[in-house]
Amino acid sequence: MIASDLTVALPEVLLAVFAMAALMAGAYGGKDKLAVPILWATAAVFVLMALVIGVGSYETRTAFGGLFIADAFAQFSKLIILISAAVVMVMGQDYLTSRNLMRFEYPVLITLAVVGMMVMVSAGDLITLYMGLELQSLSLYVIAAMRRDSQKSTEAGLKYFILGALASGLLLYGASLAYGYAGTTQFAGIISTIDEDGMSLGLLMGLAFILAGLAFKVSAAPFHMWTPDVYEGAPTAVTAFFATAPKVAAMALLARVVHEAFGAVPGDWSQIIALLAVLSMFVGAIAAIGQRDIKRLMAYSSITHMGFAMVGLAAGSAQGVQAMLIYMAIYVTMNIGMFAFILSMSRDGRPVTTIDSLNQYAKAEPLRALALLILLFSLAGVPPLVGFFGKFYVLWAAVEAGMIWLAVAGVIASVIGAFYYLRIVYYMYFGVETDPLDSAMPPIQSGLLIASAAIMVLGVVNLFGVEGLAAMAADSLVR
Amino acid sequence: MSLALIAALPFLGALLPGIMIRAGRNTCALATGSVTALALIGLLLHAPAVLQGEVIQTQITWMPLLGLNANFFLDGLGLLFAGLILGIGLLIITYARFYLAKSDPMGQFYTYLLLFQGAMVGIVLSDNILLLLIFWELTSLSSFLLIGYWRHLPEGRQGARMALAVTGMGGLALIGGMLILGHIVGSYELTVILENRELIQQSDLYAPALLLILLGAFTKSAQFPFHFWLPHAMAAPTPVSAYLHSATMVKAGLFLMARLWPVLSGTDLWFWLVAGAGLITMVMGAVIALFKDDLKGLLAFSTVSHLGLITMLLGIGTDVAAVVAVFHIINHATFKAALFMTAGIIDHEAHTRDIKRLGGLRTLMPVTFVLATVASLSMAGIPPLNGFLSKEMMLEQAADVGFFFGLMVTIGAMFSVAYSLRYIVHVFLGPKRDDYPAKPHDPGFGMWVSPALLVVLVVLIGLFPNTIVGPLVATTGGAVIGSTDLPYYSLALWHGFNIALLMSVAAVALGYLVLRFHPLFEELWNDARRPEAKEIFDALIDLCARGADRVTNLLHDGAMTRYLAIFTASAVLFGFAAFMGGTHGSGTRETLPMSVVPIIGWLLIITATIVTLMVHRNRLLSLVMVAVIGLIISIGFAYLSAPDLALTQLSVEVVTVILLLLALHYLPKETPVESTPGRRIRDGAIAGFAGLGVTGLLYAIMTRDHDTISWFHLEQSYPGGGGTNVVNVILVDFRGFDTFGEIIVLGVAALGIYAIIDAALRGPASRRLANFKPDFRRAGDRHPMMMVVATRVILPVALTVGVFIFLRGHNEPGGGFIAGLVVSIALLMQYMASGFTWAQKRQRFDYHAIIAAGIIIAALTGVGSWFYDAPFLSSAFDYYTIPPLSEFELASAIAFDVGVFLTVVGSVMLALAELSRIGRHTSVSVNKDAMDIDPRADTPAAKVEGH
Repeated sequence: MIASDLTVALPEVLLAVFAMAALMAGAYGGKDKLAVPILWATAAVFVLMALVIGVGSYETRTAFGGLFIADAFAQFSKLIILISAAVVMVMGQDYLTSRNLMRFEYPVLITLAVVGMMVMVSAGDLITLYMGLELQSLSLYVIAAMRRDSQKSTEAGLKYFILGALASGLLLYGASLAYGYAGTTQFAGIISTIDEDGMSLGLLMGLAFILAGLAFKVSAAPFHMWTPDVYEGAPTAVTAFFATAPKVAAMALLARVVHEAFGAVPGDWSQIIALLAVLSMFVGAIAAIGQRDIKRLMAYSSITHMGFAMVGLAAGSAQGVQAMLIYMAIYVTMNIGMFAFILSMSRDGRPVTTIDSLNQYAKAEPLRALALLILLFSLAGVPPLVGFFGKFYVLWAAVEAGMIWLAVAGVIASVIGAFYYLRIVYYMYFGVETDPLDSAMPPIQSGLLIASAAIMVLGVVNLFGVEGLAAMAADSLVR
Repeated sequence: MSLALIAALPFLGALLPGIMIRAGRNTCALATGSVTALALIGLLLHAPAVLQGEVIQTQITWMPLLGLNANFFLDGLGLLFAGLILGIGLLIITYARFYLAKSDPMGQFYTYLLLFQGAMVGIVLSDNILLLLIFWELTSLSSFLLIGYWRHLPEGRQGARMALAVTGMGGLALIGGMLILGHIVGSYELTVILENRELIQQSDLYAPALLLILLGAFTKSAQFPFHFWLPHAMAAPTPVSAYLHSATMVKAGLFLMARLWPVLSGTDLWFWLVAGAGLITMVMGAVIALFKDDLKGLLAFSTVSHLGLITMLLGIGTDVAAVVAVFHIINHATFKAALFMTAGIIDHEAHTRDIKRLGGLRTLMPVTFVLATVASLSMAGIPPLNGFLSKEMMLEQAADVGFFFGLMVTIGAMFSVAYSLRYIVHVFLGPKRDDYPAKPHDPGFGMWVSPALLVVLVVLIGLFPNTIVGPLVATTGGAVIGSTDLPYYSLALWHGFNIALLMSVAAVALGYLVLRFHPLFEELWNDARRPEAKEIFDALIDLCARGADRVTNLLHDGAMTRYLAIFTASAVLFGFAAFMGGTHGSGTRETLPMSVVPIIGWLLIITATIVTLMVHRNRLLSLVMVAVIGLIISIGFAYLSAPDLALTQLSVEVVTVILLLLALHYLPKETPVESTPGRRIRDGAIAGFAGLGVTGLLYAIMTRDHDTISWFHLEQSYPGGGGTNVVNVILVDFRGFDTFGEIIVLGVAALGIYAIIDAALRGPASRRLANFKPDFRRAGDRHPMMMVVATRVILPVALTVGVFIFLRGHNEPGGGFIAGLVVSIALLMQYMASGFTWAQKRQRFDYHAIIAAGIIIAALTGVGSWFYDAPFLSSAFDYYTIPPLSEFELASAIAFDVGVFLTVVGSVMLALAELSRIGRHTSVSVNKDAMDIDPRADTPAAKVEGH
């Protein structure tokens, strides 16, 4: 029994063991001197796990009496999480090393966070959900404040922690209400209770607070306040991580909770999610306009993007989940490219993150500027770049579900949002002359920047087949 | 040639110029031109069939799930536009070869141009509206690159930015509109959509769809109120202006309106929006054009005006008007592209485009003069040129709508005549000047051949309209109105004396007069204060940016308190929404009767809470108040028959208050004022609502019957866990695993305190502590003798109580956790009474080891069950009799409880030890004697012992 359970959760178990081993190796074997090898080993293990998961069975298997579910949906999400985490980690290594921030705890914490995320997307129970979520969050709190000698970083980490704790409390409150009224913490049990007895007030309140708590984790407005501060304060390599894998995990978790536990009453949550989506899209788009710092801008941009992904989720259908998954996959790819570039932004060896430092960048580095232009247009959702398909998918899902107003709101928000992406392009191509940025860029970063831009262009052929995988994943979740 | 291939050719060919530029500029242009020519030939091969009325289709599945397919179709409208795009494109490529300077990167230019061309061809051939959208945005992108081609010009940048902002946003709006349209019809195929006029016009979503689509079309075609970007985009190289801003891109909006004309037109909304915007644009553009001194500015506004004219014709909504619109599209493309090219030639040769600095070029540039004059006269609508034909027909249509329309278009036409003539009179006629920036002369053949070809067309269409474009107009008109049953119209120079002729003559005559008095009008125009659309746009953008900033600053001022306020308020709103969504009324369950004790307790809690709020700046006082609340809660537990909880709460309360007191001792006793009254009111309101919300929820829930799982534990406690104290059985048996986790957490927390204080005492905090001055004068009795004696007497008793509570725990209130706390309190008392040093000397336990032992014992207990093939932490119990005692029960859980006990004691004592370490770091003296006044102080032995 235990053995078969462990097989289902084998990747998680292995990763957790690896994290402990890496921690011990670091603590007793050479401390920060081992940081880089550990980092590369971690990335390799992530890729290995991604392979293990990728070639594994697509069938739905449960373990630990339904606490843990491995299905196509979890598989899809885990693949994105693992690969993006590996890529982001490797990408940020130069940055951390050159700024003397490379601690051996960093890859270990990332591993723990990733384990948490994998547990999250596989959660079949409120307790598993919470366990995964907190494992992830606690690791993230620490890495957010990793630059301990910087006031900004520490402050951001502290804010994130306090608000995060509050959100976790809210989530737990909701979970306990749900447990009290369903008599079980298992999603399957909750949904069958709803099937039999309908939606009681307690469950409704539970749902609302669980959603509020999760909204914090996906940084959806109005629970998004931590995002800009953390994005700006954390070292860029960490910010890049924040912008990718955790978003996917939280989004997938959200999808799982609403469909597996409350799938019988889509009306009760789709309105809430739609509201979160609209608020996020607009708050993100409007607030980004005035930003001068590219990291802060990316924070608001991520809020908008989460709003869009939630538009898909709000549709409450398998199509919606599929659209959300596609959106997230595309979003992560674009962000990796963007952050590969942001990581390299420096002048005289010191990192700069102001947008106007990009003035006339196209003149100095035409190829990179072009790649960046493609990424920015893709982020803005301009056809025919891949980013457009992501937006199109979610809007289409909303329209198909009859939520025309939501789709129209999405379009308006993307119009507003286009403004600030285009402003960067404008600076790059037509800005006034300023001191140029350093032209040196580590090969990994420039490679990822170009690759991600190339994907945005080449992906228009068939989105690299993500559609089909996402459809399969969505079908395994929405039955 | 397949339609898909025609659309793809320019994209594929876009790679060529970059490569061929190495082989020289001529080869590069030739390669580019041959790509376009190939596509044009492919298109023309289809022309005979299309003119016969056939519709040619190509279908390629792309993303069927989304409804996105690479489907193309070619009918009259597509043929016309594709022909214009490729044909004029060919001329522009030729022209650009000679126009661009040696220093301009020509390969890049041709690449962009081909990309743009491909996107345009894609738009007009798409059968799938999603595909159309994609090409639509591609034109925005590639035009951005083309407009911004000359990067060193600041106006170029501004223009590119504005063009992209306006058309890009329009494009995004169009996406929304197209999505809705596809949703109404259930298909994204244009051929299907065009057959569903009734369905679309009767849908509730018709209006939003129309608005969004028109937003896309108007921004692209520079219709009022989005007309302002076009003139500013004129900073682009002239070939770009000629191609994008006269012949092709700006016509994309018109194309879209014409394409969707069969299904969207005919409603009042359509008429007012489209015809209205068109009319305003036409008149306004014509007026402004007259007063532009920049040749290209003049042509730009003239383009705006003509686009308005065509839009108006489409807006009128009658079949004839639509056909006239098609005809004018052809005519406008020919003469306007020619004019742009002549403007470019003048700029190229005379090095200025300012009309005020030109004049008298007639003899210097005879070829250019002829070309420009013919094209201008056509634009003015002078017979026998093609502009005249379509203008006559347009005037007739407008006059049919009503007097006002007729009057307005006549005014528009009048200004149109005036600026057209100005292009001839002020540039070419008049005396020769001697202050041209460069010596003007006619350019080489390569540069004037393109406009010349167009001018030939202008004349030929004017003279033989039916022969040259008759079939094309018929097929295209049929495609626009969506039927082969064409209305009556005649393409001819002479229609007899009619109202249109009258209007036309009036326009020409008045236009001439306006030009005569141009200086006068110009003065008036320059003096008049008028809204400048660009300024409005800039101000609007600025306003938006500042508004956005304000909103952002309001939300993200960086203050944690604000974040928390927003967070909490949102959570309350969430709860409220859910609460209102459910059945939230009072339930049917009977409430318990009120009695005195709970009311007193309730009042005490409320009072203590309020007092805490009031004295919160005083740390010690608020701690006392919080302790009061804790005590009442423990009484509450006792009152509600939960003695275990009461005991736990009580002992936890005592331990935490003592430890907190110790910790607070080294902090300032008062916290600084940090909140303003406004913020307090805000926070109070939020807190009040949150409290009310929770109250309401509790009330709604507790007045309903609900099942709990208590019965399970009550039933299973004895048979399953061998204990009658359900709480303890739950802790050490049912939920033993949780407890195991918790004691680990407790141990880790204690270690955390150790780690933090240990690190802090080695850092700068240590120096600060060395200078520590207590806030208060010390109490006289630090270690009063009576208290010392009492605690020592009590210690054995307290320890016995601890053991007692521990042992009875399984069946009566008590247990390892409480016992641990009780013993800790007993030890704490020793420290407090006799001082740390004295007490520490007398018990030399390693607290780390105690914690570790506790956890290890608990873990071993759990592991033990594996030897009996049971899962981790399964419990077993049995009954034993050891004479002379009576029978007693021994459960494996008791070993687990020992672990809990040890961990608790170790953790509390470790925390205490660490806190007292802080004290010993301060400069404040620490007594080493147990008592302030030791009765044995005089005896020498005591002194030895004391030190």
